[in-house]
Amino acid sequence: MEIEIELTRGPIVEKILPQSTGARGAWLEFRGVVRGEENGQRISALEYEAYPEMAAREIRRLLGEISTRHPCLATKIIHRIGAIPVGETAIYVGVASAHRGEGIALLAEFMDKLKQDVPIWKRRALPFVGDEVTSLNISKKQSTVSPGTLDDALAKISSRCAPLPAVRLSLQESLGRILRETICAPNDLPDADRSTRDGYAILENDCSETFLMVDTLHAADWKPRQLKISEAVRIATGASLPCEGLRVVMQENVQRNGDKIHIIKSETDHNIRKRGEEVKSGAPLVWAGVRLDAGKLALLASAGCVQPLVSPRLRVVHFTTGDEVTPPDQTPLPGQIRDSNSILIRGLLQDYSCDLAQSHLPENFEAAKEKINHHKEVIEKANVVLISGGASVGDKDFTRPLLESLGFEIVFSQVAIRPGRPMIFGVSGSRIAFGLPGNPLSHFVCFHLFVAAALAKLCGAPPGRFLRGRLSAPINDPNPRETLWPARLEWAGANTMLHPLKWSSSGDLTCLAEAGALVRVPPNSPALAAGAEVEFLTAGNNCFQ
Amino acid sequence: MQQCFIARSSWCKLHPVRVLFFAQLKDATKCDSLEIALPSPVSAEQLWAELLKKFPALAGHRSSVRLAKNFEYTAPGAQFSNADEVALIPPVSGG
Repeated sequence: MEIEIELTRGPIVEKILPQSTGARGAWLEFRGVVRGEENGQRISALEYEAYPEMAAREIRRLLGEISTRHPCLATKIIHRIGAIPVGETAIYVGVASAHRGEGIALLAEFMDKLKQDVPIWKRRALPFVGDEVTSLNISKKQSTVSPGTLDDALAKISSRCAPLPAVRLSLQESLGRILRETICAPNDLPDADRSTRDGYAILENDCSETFLMVDTLHAADWKPRQLKISEAVRIATGASLPCEGLRVVMQENVQRNGDKIHIIKSETDHNIRKRGEEVKSGAPLVWAGVRLDAGKLALLASAGCVQPLVSPRLRVVHFTTGDEVTPPDQTPLPGQIRDSNSILIRGLLQDYSCDLAQSHLPENFEAAKEKINHHKEVIEKANVVLISGGASVGDKDFTRPLLESLGFEIVFSQVAIRPGRPMIFGVSGSRIAFGLPGNPLSHFVCFHLFVAAALAKLCGAPPGRFLRGRLSAPINDPNPRETLWPARLEWAGANTMLHPLKWSSSGDLTCLAEAGALVRVPPNSPALAAGAEVEFLTAGNNCFQ
Repeated sequence: MQQCFIARSSWCKLHPVRVLFFAQLKDATKCDSLEIALPSPVSAEQLWAELLKKFPALAGHRSSVRLAKNFEYTAPGAQFSNADEVALIPPVSGG
């Protein structure tokens, strides 16, 4: 029995495709999903822990043992660990068997034994975030609550954002949108056996030396006929073959004399693309949740899908704050700096289909509130409100009360990461808001970690996954907070290298200009040596990947 | 979490036994692993005695904990020696 086992920290998006192996008569898929309640309490997520090396061996041992009683052909097991939001898959089991009986029996017995023997634990339930509803009165008290972890924050974002209603658009307008339905092939691709060469179609096993040319087929021709021994049909590249059991001899290997041809060089290749070789009729072509790029749109066009169901265009409002910032085209006075966050946010949003409105708020709560009231209509229609700066606990920092005055319920206001600890996430109906720390590097990190995850959820795409790579140089900077270390990324498959960048403060812009990845350094981590395997998130224009 | 070390001058061996703690046992021991240098192979009983000396809070868990050695559950009578990876497995709850 083929066995595939995976323990992952990211969402399980696995889909099993019935492969064309004749013996497989039954395909079973089981997903164990996190319920909204644990011991009578509403929860937002469950956190799982595993002893990964042993868990994988134990799963393999169990499957081996159970399959002696219920022989199956293939199994795939994926268990997610870390914080898993309500409604998402904790375990996925796919089973292929000759008949349904043994598949169902294996699945049932495996799940029972998994819960007895495999070293994976439900560690704790994260409480339902709605309980954290705040008002202005208690918001001061809440800010002293110790900040949650990165995983907690991501689980809360995932559970509080819902995909926006999808729309049907023309292919041209769908570029860059997230596909919200799975498009299946309406027919086999290619739809008939087609020649891959300009040449002559003859019977597969015909050993004649001379052939009589009985027909000519161009690319668009559809002329079925049964060929006989010593008969050949002139055929163009891409044309449908007239019947089954043929091969195509390249014209370069043939000598032609009127309607007679003579093969001068034998070939082993049939030079035929078989019907359904690329995709079988009814098989998924493009999955829901992927971003429609040029290639995928071309595939949809070829399948005749001209009005796909896609994510709507997002409406984003972005406010910068702080009296210390001046527009980039002005020379800052002493104590001032140029605004880099406006263009940073605009650039980061480039890969999302969105309309962006940007404005600056004065550094005075009443004045800011008044200015924001001018924009009330835009804010009410926005899907996402972003406020840069003003998220810390300084006297002038007012993002939190400002968002509350706009009707947002604050879900969290701090995350134990660096850079970027003051980080506010709020919800109001289907609208969401982020208060981002003002420093550019913090901005960059928080956008990729949190805003991108929320935008993906609103659009109906899976969030970015942490990938694995190796450090090219050591990181030795123990800190009680989890650190997202900016790094230059060098893709090389299994040997993807991360070059940690010099980074001294959250305002470090030179480092930001080079960063292509954020390396996850756990809290209180001992020094990470060069060559150490680490988790990272791609940064820069890599959304949805 | 930090590692805890038991160092005994007379026991200095290059590759000590590594003991891993999971789930609620991490809370009980406040660490996720421990290294013990053993003078000679020991039984489960002797290993437990050593662990309980260091972490009395494990006593309450002992009856429900299974021992694994090098990624497999151990059979009665198993011996543990230097360079083994031993895991204390509390009742599991995956799926």
